[in-house]
Amino acid sequence: MKLEDFLIAFENADATSHYPADFLGEYTMMECLSERNGVDTFLVQNQTGQMFIAKCYDVEIWKQTGEKQILSELQSVHLPKQIAVFENENVLVTVREYIDGISLDRYAMENELSSDEITRICIRLCDILEILHHRKNPVIHRDIKPQNIIVKPDGEIALIDFDIARIFRSENDTDTYFFGTVAYAPPEQYGFSQTDTRTDIYSFGVLLRYLLTGSTKENKNIRVYRPLGKIIDKCTAFSPKERFSDISQVRRALVSANPRAQLLKKLKISGVILLMVCLVSFGGRKLYQYITYDPFTDTSIPGALNDKERIQDAVRYMKDKYKTELFDSSLEEHATMGFVRKALMELYGFDKEYVYACQEEGELPEEGEAYFFPWDLDDGQTVRRDTMVYTAVKVHDAKMVADWSDLKDDTGEYPGERVAVAFAEKTGILTGANRPYDITVGEVALILANTDRVFEAAKDS
Amino acid sequence: MMEEKSGNITTRELWARLFQAPAVDAFFQENGDACSLPNFSEYINELCNVRQEKPGTVIKRSNIESSFGHRLFSGTRNPSRDTVLMLAFGFELLPDDTQQILKVARQTPLHPKVKRDAVIAWCLHHHNTVVEAQQILYEHHLPLMGGAKFEA
Repeated sequence: MKLEDFLIAFENADATSHYPADFLGEYTMMECLSERNGVDTFLVQNQTGQMFIAKCYDVEIWKQTGEKQILSELQSVHLPKQIAVFENENVLVTVREYIDGISLDRYAMENELSSDEITRICIRLCDILEILHHRKNPVIHRDIKPQNIIVKPDGEIALIDFDIARIFRSENDTDTYFFGTVAYAPPEQYGFSQTDTRTDIYSFGVLLRYLLTGSTKENKNIRVYRPLGKIIDKCTAFSPKERFSDISQVRRALVSANPRAQLLKKLKISGVILLMVCLVSFGGRKLYQYITYDPFTDTSIPGALNDKERIQDAVRYMKDKYKTELFDSSLEEHATMGFVRKALMELYGFDKEYVYACQEEGELPEEGEAYFFPWDLDDGQTVRRDTMVYTAVKVHDAKMVADWSDLKDDTGEYPGERVAVAFAEKTGILTGANRPYDITVGEVALILANTDRVFEAAKDS
Repeated sequence: MMEEKSGNITTRELWARLFQAPAVDAFFQENGDACSLPNFSEYINELCNVRQEKPGTVIKRSNIESSFGHRLFSGTRNPSRDTVLMLAFGFELLPDDTQQILKVARQTPLHPKVKRDAVIAWCLHHHNTVVEAQQILYEHHLPLMGGAKFEA
């Protein structure tokens, strides 16, 4: 057969000759993508070589479809834009944007999709369905399936084929005809009741199952990640009432079902528990310390020593801490007030004037007076133990031994020394200092060292 | 899909009228699941073995750029529909075998409603070379295969 005869045969047999002439003049058919339900879908090319999708509807079928109206009302990068419409008495042709990419079924076939990737795609699909379902008059796609989802080269997805989509009108009770793809269609799409947005949710569930298991039917032999399995079950419940009522709920469930999100959730919960345990134990410890804290009990002073060893230990401590040679003389010698004053100046940096000053005879000491000792004490006289204790405590906390308002005794005499002694007895400062009068240089070192240790320990806690 | 009616004529009848012989029956009777299709590169390599052809010869006859052609045979690239059609000329396939190779490549089959497809099918049926087929498409103001400008 010659080509010319062949083309004549083609022209005679050409089933497209009844298509609108202006459409055939403007576009060249490149591929027939599908023939279904009186709708032929072609890939067409315009004169500049740009590709489009043309849908040629039998006019009777056209009256039942909502694609033209729906696509012209909806504008989204995830939905194909409508470019032109051609019409004659037999056929209506809509030309829409060609979305570059491959269908999700082919994409799934060519790539081993992980649960993560499937979840990502389905979340994007939820975003698109939210646009459709959350309109004032919701649009129900009614044919959600992998063949109608295009995965673009950049990984984004688009939803195509609104042939059987409809705008939901609450006054309609049932759909008259069955449309859609059997495996993905819910029971109500067979005419039991009117379809609403939960119809798409059912198909969405079947789609999720297909992507995870490779089958649209439930297969108990294939294990599905449990949180995703629960979503499938809820989406595909027989009764629409038992399904998710809104696609946003599905989206939220998917986001939290994502293995990473689950891991993050577990980590967050563990973190919160750990933090609470830390807070409780730390707080409990602090509370225990607060309840049991008593500045007058301290264990910082070495215990298992005899008196001589304690004095030697105290001298070592003072030498190490203050780098002093004061205690190089015989530790058995009686200390004098002069020695004590020297220690105050050399070890603790008090002014000479301050340690030598004294109030007038017969006067009671007053707060803020500029002297260390409230008594007139000669440099040559020996030292009483209680005076030494008063000295050692005042070095660290002058206020404790100078509380004028509350601690005056019945005689109205200055009570600082007794306060210091009471504190020393409570805290063990007197451990090893048994002599009440004429204490030795070693005992001076002992009382100073013990007092230092007690205040340092109190500071640390 | 191929049994769909267009007006009063089935697709099969259209082909039969065009070629006066139902050469594509074998293809139409195969309704296997797309999942069971072989891998495209394995398929064309096997086709080379069966026909005792070297990939290089097929690529040359297809008028496909050499390195791209070898990537198709090694499976590192997926072909477009036009590339599959050019390979069909390279293999000197008849229309029914061309439908099969298109199916394996997950591309839509040649369709009698599409004039360009009909001309390509006619060229395959008459053992035209790819250059001759491009010439015929050019003469009938139809888009060339591969989108390239025609060079005789």
